[in-house]
Amino acid sequence: MVSKSSSWFILAVLVFCWVEFADAAKPNFKSVAKRVDAAIAEEVFSDSDQPAPQCDDETYLRRVWLDLVGDIPSPEEVIAFSLDPAKNKRRVVVNQLLKSPHYGQNWARYWRDVIFSRVLEDRALLAANAMEVDITERLNNGDGWDAIAAEFITAQGDVRQNGSTAIMMAQSGRTEETTAEMSRIFLGIQIQCAQCHDHPYDRWKREQFHELAAFFPRIGVRAVRDVTQRTFEVYAADRFNNKRKKNNETRPKAEHFMPDLDDPSAKGTKTQPKFFLTSASLPFDSTDAERRQQLSQWFIENEWFAIALVNRVWSELVGEGFYEPVDDIGPDRDATAPTAVKLLAKEFESSGYDYRWLLKTICATEAYQRAARPRRGPEDTPMLANVPQRLRSDQLMNAIFTALEIGESTQDSSPRRPNRRAEFAKTFGYDPSIPREGVSASIPQVLALMNSPQINRQLTAGRSGVLGYLLEDIYDDEQLVVELYLRCLSRQPQAEEMDTALAYLEESPQRRFAFEDLLWALVNSAEFQHRK
Amino acid sequence: MISHMQHHANLAVRKQGVVGRRDFLKQLSATSLAAGTLSWSDAISVSADELRSRGMACIVLWMQGGPSQFETFSPKPDHENGGGTKAISTSVPGIHISENLPHCAKVMDDLAIIRSMTSKEGNHQRATYFLHHGYLPMGGVKFPTLGSNVAHQIGDAANTLPSYVRIGSRLPNSGGGGFLGVEYDPLVLQNATRPPQNTTPSANLPRYERRLGLLDKIQSSFAAGAGAQVVDDQRKLVDRAADMILSPSMEAFDLEAEPSELRASYGEGDFAAGCMMARRLVEHGVTFVEVVSRGWDTHQDNFNRVGELTSQVDQPMATLITDLKQRGMLDNTLVVWMGEFGRSPKVNPRTGRDHYPKAFNAVLAGGGVQGGQVIGSTNPAGTTVADRPVSVNDLFQSVYHTLSIDADHENISRIGRPIKLVDGGTVVDELFV
Repeated sequence: MVSKSSSWFILAVLVFCWVEFADAAKPNFKSVAKRVDAAIAEEVFSDSDQPAPQCDDETYLRRVWLDLVGDIPSPEEVIAFSLDPAKNKRRVVVNQLLKSPHYGQNWARYWRDVIFSRVLEDRALLAANAMEVDITERLNNGDGWDAIAAEFITAQGDVRQNGSTAIMMAQSGRTEETTAEMSRIFLGIQIQCAQCHDHPYDRWKREQFHELAAFFPRIGVRAVRDVTQRTFEVYAADRFNNKRKKNNETRPKAEHFMPDLDDPSAKGTKTQPKFFLTSASLPFDSTDAERRQQLSQWFIENEWFAIALVNRVWSELVGEGFYEPVDDIGPDRDATAPTAVKLLAKEFESSGYDYRWLLKTICATEAYQRAARPRRGPEDTPMLANVPQRLRSDQLMNAIFTALEIGESTQDSSPRRPNRRAEFAKTFGYDPSIPREGVSASIPQVLALMNSPQINRQLTAGRSGVLGYLLEDIYDDEQLVVELYLRCLSRQPQAEEMDTALAYLEESPQRRFAFEDLLWALVNSAEFQHRK
Repeated sequence: MISHMQHHANLAVRKQGVVGRRDFLKQLSATSLAAGTLSWSDAISVSADELRSRGMACIVLWMQGGPSQFETFSPKPDHENGGGTKAISTSVPGIHISENLPHCAKVMDDLAIIRSMTSKEGNHQRATYFLHHGYLPMGGVKFPTLGSNVAHQIGDAANTLPSYVRIGSRLPNSGGGGFLGVEYDPLVLQNATRPPQNTTPSANLPRYERRLGLLDKIQSSFAAGAGAQVVDDQRKLVDRAADMILSPSMEAFDLEAEPSELRASYGEGDFAAGCMMARRLVEHGVTFVEVVSRGWDTHQDNFNRVGELTSQVDQPMATLITDLKQRGMLDNTLVVWMGEFGRSPKVNPRTGRDHYPKAFNAVLAGGGVQGGQVIGSTNPAGTTVADRPVSVNDLFQSVYHTLSIDADHENISRIGRPIKLVDGGTVVDELFV
């Protein structure tokens, strides 16, 4: 007879086997990582090149925390990881982090910034929260990138309810703008340069842009009456009347017309839906559902769909993409390591467009695990080292909150109060699609970290700040210095840094002031604000 | 064809990590810096002399919501569309403006009124964007706003204050540095009566300086390795930010320093304070200041509300011009009064006026603009431009021209696409007769 506990055991084993089986059906991430590394070495490195050594454990831990869950590890986690003798600990921590709900949130926020950094009108920002919530759930749920993309392309509904309407809302439902963003985000191809003239340096013709636009004429955006809050909906239509258009709405049209450049007031040329990469087409009069569903399928089937995503995530994690900028790729661009990126893209496709699989694979590559070096010059060999990346607004805010043990109160997400996170993003946010050498800090950012009363209250050793209790708990100055370094930089201070801190302590009128100043300096340091 | 070839070359350079133009390699001039590639810190160290401001500045008085032309600079007392608003004579014989602007009437000698502005954008968001960028929003391209372009072109990078300041918080769609980068974003003042955010040092001065010293020291290890570039940039930023907040120029933000008589002459209210602040900032080397007045979207009760709004704007605007003139600054400072569009000739049943981009006003003064004139006109009903239409692009051409900036200058967007400061349009020559 099988006891109750052993039946639980069997069930657990079955579940475990099933999970393992599901994973086993995917390409083995370790072997793919190896092959990608080999392809890069083969294609890019020469004998004289010296790739950076593997980074140390502390650096790796802070790196994967920021890259996977958008936060920094606590001092306890840093110590535990450093002392863990297990050989596979890097793989284990990646798996653990990918199971955290913050994984989905971190990457949902990344995509929120991708989409909403390009809004046509600021009112679209009211849809940002719904998009973040929805995509968080989808990613945590393990939905494939293909399913997520298809939803973005085909969605409709209230923009505060259905986060997948985000791209259309961000572009106010305008046909040409929506088209441009769909291609940029999911294929990495900026065909909109061909909107008014044939593409100046790519193969795209003006007709091809407008043929792509012809998949989106039947969507619109309009305000929705709602007793409690202002909102909009993305809607589609297959019947058309001549009701008068309201001021702030975009109305569906039956077909797309390519404007006549010589006579902008003319109706233009009626244009058939046709996908520029394959020339596959739909007839006129196709319904909205037919158009957008078909297009999403054609997008996903195309090799640039997987390449675009793989290249973007690689760029975010390794510090440079195979193609840069990540949203201006395509058949007329050269990759630094074409075999490597195509290989990774192909295997990503075989994984069922599994986002977690992709992250796990990249984290296992040597390319990812190398120590960081300053961004290379244009003539230098690519991919020899990881590159320090400036934290995105959410990562930086999380890092501050974790280092200083500040809780994010529920009030912060109340719709009536200005959201602290959104306020923070106004100063620290940047568009993650732009090449990172173009992302620099700014004076308002520096001022905010140095002087904002909100942050400085938390740096003060009073009742509210973490330093208050640390000063009481840790009598030994050296230990407290170590604690602050672990908290902020996820590493121990070097000997010189310890000397600097102790010398500063010596000069300061009070122990308390000295540690407040040290914490202030750590938060204001470039190292804190980057992931290296 | 040639331009395409050249573009190819530029792209090749850019793709290897230098986001720039070919001429950038030839000569490090202010023009090539305009390609938006060098950080401000490089800009200072590389070519401080070339970047030195040519001494021109611009103050935009922005009427958010779309000011009624009939109740400001284009009264139509003889037509029912005029809504009964009376016209008054000005210091220039033959030129009449609305009775709501008695102070501006006295400085008409310095004003050039364009009564024939025309556009097609009647939506606040898009029109605000248009009148700030000279472009309509377009997916994938983050155009820099006018103030950022001006700051980028002629801002004094060595000045301790930022080159572009906007007074009045939350002005959606007014834009920022766009693809030029955050360093060209405006420094935003919520209100002219309070100093900018986070400029009060977080500790007393000796301790603050000790802190800065400690920060510099603890950056050494990161600076010696992977963080070489980023620490270098950040150190310069910290220095610059600290320089700014500890510098005597911060007194520019202190209106209390103005004599009470002069403060009284600017009048009461936030907009008055903003105008006075604008003058102080320009005196301290700021190149572009935008002062925002809100509430011009008068769909209802137009006449009372515009009466109230003009009472907040008329005196400060006129005093600003007189004040600049008395200090010998007006010839180098262009003042522009505008909003995103005008208001409908027909008064609606709620005694309001609705959006009307087809015929509206803009007013320019200073910076070499010939005052005392009216450019363009509308038909008696005010429904359409009768003479000398001026497009938004024409206006932008004229603003850049006044500031001695080449409007055909091409910046390179993030994807390597050349973007002119203004695409199309011609300078309104009458402004400079």
